[in-house]
This record gives sequence, C-alpha cells and structure tokens, in this order.
Amino acid sequence: MVVLFCVGVMLVALVWLYPQAFSDANREARANAALDQVDRELGGGNSVLPAQAIAVEARGRIPEDESFTVAVGEPRASWSLLSTPDSLEHYMRYFLLPRRAFPDAPWILCFACDRSAYPGATPVWEDAEEGLAILRRPS
Amino acid sequence: MARALAGLAALNVAYAVVGLSILWGLRGFRTWGDVLRLAGLGYLLGVAAFGVLWTALLTAGVPFGGIEVAGSLVIIGAAGAVTALVRRSTVPHGIGRPRATPILLVSAAGIALAGLYLEALFRTARLQSLQSYDAWAFWVPKGKAIFFFHGLDEHVFTTTPNAPYPPLQPILDAAAFHAMGGAEVVTLHVQFWFLLVGAVAAVAGLLHGHAPEWIVWPPVLLVLVVPRLQEHLFVPQADILVDVLVVVAALLLALWLRDRAGWRLAAATVLLAASVNTKREGIVFAAAVLVVAFAVSLPRYWLRLAVAAAAVALAILPWRIWAAQHDIPAGTPPSFDVDRIGAAVRLSFDVLYSTERWSVVPLVATIALAAAAVWGDRRLAAYIGLLSLLLFAGGVWSTVGFVELTLTADESGNPIVRYTGSIVLLAAAALPLLLSSVWRRDEGT
Repeated sequence: MVVLFCVGVMLVALVWLYPQAFSDANREARANAALDQVDRELGGGNSVLPAQAIAVEARGRIPEDESFTVAVGEPRASWSLLSTPDSLEHYMRYFLLPRRAFPDAPWILCFACDRSAYPGATPVWEDAEEGLAILRRPS
Repeated sequence: MARALAGLAALNVAYAVVGLSILWGLRGFRTWGDVLRLAGLGYLLGVAAFGVLWTALLTAGVPFGGIEVAGSLVIIGAAGAVTALVRRSTVPHGIGRPRATPILLVSAAGIALAGLYLEALFRTARLQSLQSYDAWAFWVPKGKAIFFFHGLDEHVFTTTPNAPYPPLQPILDAAAFHAMGGAEVVTLHVQFWFLLVGAVAAVAGLLHGHAPEWIVWPPVLLVLVVPRLQEHLFVPQADILVDVLVVVAALLLALWLRDRAGWRLAAATVLLAASVNTKREGIVFAAAVLVVAFAVSLPRYWLRLAVAAAAVALAILPWRIWAAQHDIPAGTPPSFDVDRIGAAVRLSFDVLYSTERWSVVPLVATIALAAAAVWGDRRLAAYIGLLSLLLFAGGVWSTVGFVELTLTADESGNPIVRYTGSIVLLAAAALPLLLSSVWRRDEGT
C-alpha cells in the first residue's frame, strides 16, 4: 500500500510539473534564441557593465598577449547596483582572457576612474556619458 | 556553431567509450544490451577518470593541449581494454532479449518522456548565455586559463575568488574548449547537458533489474523537473557534477552491499576520486559515503572499503599539494559558532523539505525510508538514512562554520540550497531501491 501511495504521489506531482517544466524549457530556448549575438556573448556582463561597448571595445583593441587593469571610481547614477569594483574586475578578467590583469598593465579600463592616477595615459576609446574609457599608458 | 557542437559531441562520445572500456575491464559485458544499459555509467566513469588523471598531470606541470587531451583518452581507454584482455572479460554478443511485457511499455514511456524533456533542454542549453556570478567570476575563467595557458596558470588560479576549489570542472571546461575549437562560453552549456544525459542514463541503467520499471521512472523523471534543478541544470559550475558523481557512487555502493560485485566498488571509487577533485564539499560527501558503507558492512569487507578509501584519499593529494605550494588555504570552515547550530539546522530542514524547490521528492523519500526500515531492506534503509543524515549534517556544519554566511536560503548569502541538491538527488536515486524492497516483501506475503 505504502509503495502504491508513494508512486501515486510522485505521478501526481509529475503530471503537474512535467508540462510546466517542458513549457518553461521551450520558452527559455526561444528567449535564448531571440538574444542578439552581443547580448548572448556578454551574458552576466549585461547586468554588471554600465555599457556593453567597453567590453567589446576592450576585446577588439587590447592584443591577446597584453595585459590590462580595471580602475573604478564613484559609480554614476545610471549604473546598475551590480556595477561594483569587484564585479567589474572579475567580469573583465573573465571576458578578456587570455589577456591578463595586472595592476601596472599598459591598458586601463576606466570606470569613472581618477585619470590623474595614470599620468600620461591617453584615451583610445571613451563613453563620456557613462564615464567609461579605455586608456593606454605610454610605452 | 555547428563545428563546436560536433566537436563537443565527439568529446562526450569519447568519454563514454573510454568509460565503457574501463567497465569492460572491470566486469565484461554479456550482450550489447548490457553495454547500452551501462553507457551512462560508462560516460560518467570516462569523465571521472579523465578529470582525476588530468588533475594529477596538471599539478605535475604536464601541458594541457588538444593532442594531449586526445592522447590521454586513448591511454585510459587502452588501459581498460588491456585489463579486459588480461582478465579475459566477456565480449558482448547479441543484444539480449527484452521481454515483451507491459513493463516494457513503462520503460519505453519513461525513456520517451525523459528524451522529450532532454531534447527541449538541449535547445535551451545550445544558445544560453553565461549569467551566473560564480561561473564568470572563477569557474569558467579557470577553464579558460587551462585552455589558453595549457596548465594551472599560477596568476589565475591563485587570484580568482574561491581559489581552494579543485580544478576538475575547469579541466572538463578546457577539454570542451579544445573540442569546440575555441573558448565558446555559450556552447559550453551543452557540455552540462551531456553530463545531465549521462547522469539520467547512469541512474536508470544501474537501477534496471533491481527495481520494477514502474517504480524506477517516476522519481527519475520527477527529480528532472523539480523547479530548483530545472533552474540550475546548465549553470557552468561544479554543483551538479559533484552531486551526480557522489550520488551515482552511493548508488553503486548500495548495490554493492547487496551483491558484493567488485566492479561496483571499483567504479564507485573512481567516481568518488573525481568528486573530491570537483568541489570542497565533494570531500565531505565522499567521506560520508565511505563511512556509512563501512558502518553497514560486515568486518570482512572492511579491507576492500579501506583500499577504496585510500585510493580516494590519494586522489586528493596532487591538488592539495599544489594548492599548499601556492599558499592557497584549504578552505575548511574556519570556526564553529555553537550559537548558530539551531538556526542552521532549521534552515537546512526548511530548504530540504521545501516543496517549492524539490516538489515531493524529499517527503516521499522519507516515507519510503521509514517503510523500508520497517518492512523492507533494513540495511539499505540504514545506509541511505545514515548517508542522508551525514550529508544533512555537512550542510549544517558549513552554515555554522562559515560565519560570514547569512542564515538564509538566499543563494547570494548561503549555498545551502545548492548543497542540499546532493540529498535530493540521492533520495531520487535511492527511492526505487527502497520502495522495491518493500514491494517485494508485500508480493512475497
């Protein structure tokens, strides 16, 4: 009796949950397919980065065998709450591999950073509205 | 994209072939039906053996490249085949004769429902973006580092968060990148789909013949669709992998307690060796499985268990030595705050019996456990019950020991929900054995 009861309870739960799970999986598959290439490639970066462009530009401009550092200043009002210094650094380290992250790297990913801390560094890309820039130290 | 998928499929077929070769060496196959039935277990064994071997090789400084990956798979597979030839293991002949009974229809329905759902999940995984913080903060960067720098890059492995975590999952990620022809983090989700397929096939294949099919499939299908698992199946982290490795090892040992077939203990040892190299809690899980197996075994089997335990302990050493050499802490809970015990127990209990997360799986398993203890296989009930209690205690220990963890089920503050997955998966895998032991007694009376 107890066996039939247990199997019966599981079957009822299965009848309830399986269609939902199947439908959820299909819905998620459609949502994933609807993402554009950049959204899909950035993934969690869409929640962390103030703008997608800094990641895409950094990947395009910094050679794979060079290194970078992430400098974060006071967050702008338009930034997400998730745009913390730790999150930004961890995300850029993940996204830009095999480029390595070192404090004295020639490339600086500046998130509203104090540019005076990097004398001589010149912007190679900038989004003034969000306070973002990619700086390059003189070689 | 198509090339990456084809490469990934080839890699995973290679894992299955390698694992089946190990199984051939360990036990032989009577029929091709046997091979098919144990293909899921073979796949997990292939993944585990590959991961354990490369954990040791990477800590020894062996470079991790495409040729080396392929070569290592060939070597493991050849070792299994040579063992089979030396032991004169039986070669499969014919496909076996499935009995044309109504029960066959139950199997067919179970396989069809699982297959239909897994197909939908494949389409989800194929284009999934990488969202989880832990995945991009340290799991996938470590895999990328192994792929790009051909080894345990000191800078990445010592400076990313959670540095003490062992490297087996990143090794699998890096192998997947090689198979895909690049660090494609979107297609990487399909690797986790393959792991899921392997896990379902392994559990269903192992239970075949040990419980009636109408008891096997409901828990296996139900656990696949419980809300919590559904949400986290393809997150590129090691939680599902460590749970699968430990639960399938525990299932093998549950069956070993019945028939004492040496191949089951050997296969469980390989899986546990992989689990201790997958996550820190893998050590707690593996220790719990082995301690309980000792507790419910007669002393004359202790030597075999001791050899298995020693092999698992040995497998931990390469990573631990490498980590110690690079000043990475062990990552054990640093304290034991007695005042938190009560709240930690309540939290673990609430999470375990949360129907919103796990549906009725833990509740039904608890009833089945009690029924088996009274009317069914008492040793099996003791094994599963004690193991569940130890795993539960491990979760409490983690909440008590890491005082920075909040006393909440919110995963950003406490990983107790992820941890509890191991108990729920164990419950689902053990339910058919527990219930069938009661059912057979009912039938016999």
